Amino acid sequence: MILAAARYAYPNAKVRGLRSRRLTAQDRHFLMEAKDFSSFLAYLATTPYGRVLPNLEEEKTDPWVLERLLARSLMEDYAKVTRSLRGQREQELVLALFSRFESENLKVLLRALFSGRGKQAVSRLLYPLGNLSALPWDDLWACNNPAEIADLLIRNPFGQALKHAIPQFNAQGRLFPLEMALDLSCFQRLKQAISGLRSKADRKAAKRILGPYVDILNILWVIRLKIHYGLSHEEIVNYSLPGGELLTLSYLHRLARAEDISSFLEQMPRSLQREVGEVREWEDFHTYLETWFLRLIARLFVGPPFHIGIEIAFLLEKEMELTGLITLLEAKAQGLSPDQTVKKLPMQFSGVAHV
Amino acid sequence: MFRPVKLTRLTIQAPEDRISAVMAVLGDLRLLHLIRVEETHLGHLGYVAHIDTSLLEHYDSLLARANRLLRDLGPAGPSPGIRKVPQPDKAVFRLEEDLAHIETEALRPLEQKKKAKNAISEHEALIARLQLLEPAKIDLDRLHDLRYVTWRAGLIPEENLNKLEQSLVGTHHTLIPVGRKEQRVVLMAMSLKKDEKALLRALKSAFWDPLELPPGIHGTIGTALDQLSAELENLKTGLAGLDTEGAELTRKHGARLKYLREEILLARQLLKAQAKFGQIDHTYLLTGWIPVALFEELKKRILKATSGKVLVERVDPKDIKEVRSGILKIPILFNNPMLVRPFERLTTLYGTPSYEELEPTVFLAVSFLLLFGMMFGDVGHGAILCGIGYYVFRKMYRYIDYGIILMECGVSSMIFGLLYGSVFGLEDLIPALWMHPMAEINHFMVMSAFLGIGIISLGLILNLINVIRQHRYGELLSTSGLAGALLYWLGVGLVARYLLSGGLSPLEVIFAKVAAGALIILMILQRPVRAVLAQRRTGEKWRHLPPGLGGTILESFIEVLDDLLRYLANTVSFVRVAAFALTHAGLFIAVFSLADMVQNVHGQGFFYWITIILGNIVIIALEGIVVSIQTLRLEYYEFFSKFFRGGGKPFQPLLEEKL
Repeated sequence: MILAAARYAYPNAKVRGLRSRRLTAQDRHFLMEAKDFSSFLAYLATTPYGRVLPNLEEEKTDPWVLERLLARSLMEDYAKVTRSLRGQREQELVLALFSRFESENLKVLLRALFSGRGKQAVSRLLYPLGNLSALPWDDLWACNNPAEIADLLIRNPFGQALKHAIPQFNAQGRLFPLEMALDLSCFQRLKQAISGLRSKADRKAAKRILGPYVDILNILWVIRLKIHYGLSHEEIVNYSLPGGELLTLSYLHRLARAEDISSFLEQMPRSLQREVGEVREWEDFHTYLETWFLRLIARLFVGPPFHIGIEIAFLLEKEMELTGLITLLEAKAQGLSPDQTVKKLPMQFSGVAHV
Repeated sequence: MFRPVKLTRLTIQAPEDRISAVMAVLGDLRLLHLIRVEETHLGHLGYVAHIDTSLLEHYDSLLARANRLLRDLGPAGPSPGIRKVPQPDKAVFRLEEDLAHIETEALRPLEQKKKAKNAISEHEALIARLQLLEPAKIDLDRLHDLRYVTWRAGLIPEENLNKLEQSLVGTHHTLIPVGRKEQRVVLMAMSLKKDEKALLRALKSAFWDPLELPPGIHGTIGTALDQLSAELENLKTGLAGLDTEGAELTRKHGARLKYLREEILLARQLLKAQAKFGQIDHTYLLTGWIPVALFEELKKRILKATSGKVLVERVDPKDIKEVRSGILKIPILFNNPMLVRPFERLTTLYGTPSYEELEPTVFLAVSFLLLFGMMFGDVGHGAILCGIGYYVFRKMYRYIDYGIILMECGVSSMIFGLLYGSVFGLEDLIPALWMHPMAEINHFMVMSAFLGIGIISLGLILNLINVIRQHRYGELLSTSGLAGALLYWLGVGLVARYLLSGGLSPLEVIFAKVAAGALIILMILQRPVRAVLAQRRTGEKWRHLPPGLGGTILESFIEVLDDLLRYLANTVSFVRVAAFALTHAGLFIAVFSLADMVQNVHGQGFFYWITIILGNIVIIALEGIVVSIQTLRLEYYEFFSKFFRGGGKPFQPLLEEKL
């Protein structure tokens, strides 16, 4: 305990300091109620996110560009949290979580390559990763095909994953296998990083927060792959993310075979059924699950403080705040009313209970 | 040597049917810097030429065919020089025929060789695939005969095996891991034929990398491997025979093919050069710069080749309005002896001299070698540098210039080594013809400073020549001009006088004060006075002083102060020559001390000599680089900055660019 306190005193203080810069209830209220896109941006400029926004009077405010600019705040927090941690294994866990954004940028790169576009044409879609990303981006942008990218990244989990997915990419002639491989490799790395943690308390705390997170993603992926992409249950199971806590492969298999929402709900573990029992539309799962997850995070912050779970919880909470903000930004850009928007946001963001 | 080659402007007007012959002569002579007619006033009038695209395409296809043959036949050796430049429109027929002749003989065996190579690599890949499945001891015939069961062999990432198993729950199947390769599992997957689609879907989503076996493989994997290995051996024997045939073809046609390729390249370049020509109706116009000495020969040859149907004219640069007004720059064609020529690279690294100014390469070469030798004086090290330079000169054609520079630096080092009496740091092997630097440090430093004064003075003199040549007389009174030079030499004279006889006479002091004061006032006031004169020239009435005159005087004062300080700093900077020479000697002392210490510990001569050898290698590598950089620094900052303006345009001879 004393050792853990010594190890996590500084990172914990750092995280609590960073957490104090979250949007306040008042911020969320005024952002929700903003009458149009420009007043939304005007208010956003007064929040801690104002720092990463461009000069709104001088520059074009394209929602796509703003989304990535807002993400800079999260990327900076990743760098700060990583720097605050002393142990290499703890840092690796944060970096594994961060690799999801690297994976997103790699996907953009692959799509650009596939469609014959240059970096300039897609730069607005890239996450501003900053110095935390150690991937050789300039060299990657100079590659001519996925095999070259895989070779360049061969010492990185991404390289290995891409290499294994290239036969399917060649067979199917589309990027889907490569993109899936990138996503799966991030979570495989995350799973390994959790097992690599030295202290049992850390491993437990990391699983406690990341396990449900992976479960949520798996549920949402099952829905997306099943409903939107029309994939078979065999494929859905194979594309599921490793490292979940409640949803075993057999649960996922049953969920993938479910034919409607009620049978889908029936196939869920009991603890999850309580959280999403009210859902009537596929689209609503997202909001309910996020609400549940944010509650888990909040609970973690009032528990024992000296473990890696605090850092991970903060980063995921911040990511969800950002996701909520971006949802709101898009809604305002499309001119949706607060009532139409509220359904898309977790309760902690909208202040309206769904459950 | 001190000036670039004298050039003249050449203009050729040729009828369309003679342009090819003109191009052949120009290609033969090569020393023509073409000017794009489009960029001259004629271009604005519509004299714009077009490349004969169909002919160029024909040459492109010939080049592709020649390249393919050369790649497949792979003759060794450098490309031959072209004896006679082809006339593109005529030569194309001969080139086509020659190439077709070689192709008739070579293509069939080359194609067979390619097929044999493909078959070998296919066999090797198949063997590698089968070897993965070998531990399963499968009988392929029995698998092929299965009526209700389908099967697949392939690899999947290890971490996906559980998921794959789970995804097939509810489907009759079996997954048999056969082996492992690079974090993947070699797997045999089987299911009922009716479930084949589900199996394939599952495999696909588990990142399946199939091991596809061609239908001709029978029996157990072991039998199939034996059969394939025997076939592979036969294929390799066949390929060896084709290789012999290929070698014979290379011997027979290699040299001719390379010559043809060079001719094709040359013809293409000539055709592409046409883009710089002008054309109106059926008349071509081309213009460019050519050495004056070559003009008559060129004219004679063109007239002969075109039966006098072409108009060849020269225009003196002085008569070209654009040159006079500075809009058009005359390109620079260096004119240096062989041993100085490599230093042109160092000159152009700083800038390309303009046509009107002195060409500084020869001064750079001499002073570079002098400074390098002084700082790196050692007979042994010089000999090694010379040896490395010779190796580069003989073996690395691309770096031949650097090879020559290295050899010259080596010789300079050896000469100074003799003057210092140093051979690999041993100072008692040969007598010093001049002095041991470590024994006379102060004297050496003073010598270096005086060497610096000499080099800076040379820079100042060269600047005066440039100023006069370029009629920039106004600059004579500036710090970089005559006034600055006189003040510098006055200071140098006083210091020399003081060092030689100690103390100055009152008359000398008064003279120095008056002269220095007058020169400084002159330098400060020259700009404001020039401003006032300029105002008068423009016809303005001289009732008031020009606006901002006070500021100009202040600016001029600061500039003079800055420039005078720079003279001092530049001179002192040359003390580094002595400093690095001493460092060179000092490093030897360190190496010898280290060797003594090693010998004391191990008590053997072997380690002593190893330390000496390693120490010398370090000194040559480390100090060689440092001294080169310092020498270059002195050249650029202390010497070139005094007179060299640059901003010229390099001469680009026709056909220089290799395709």
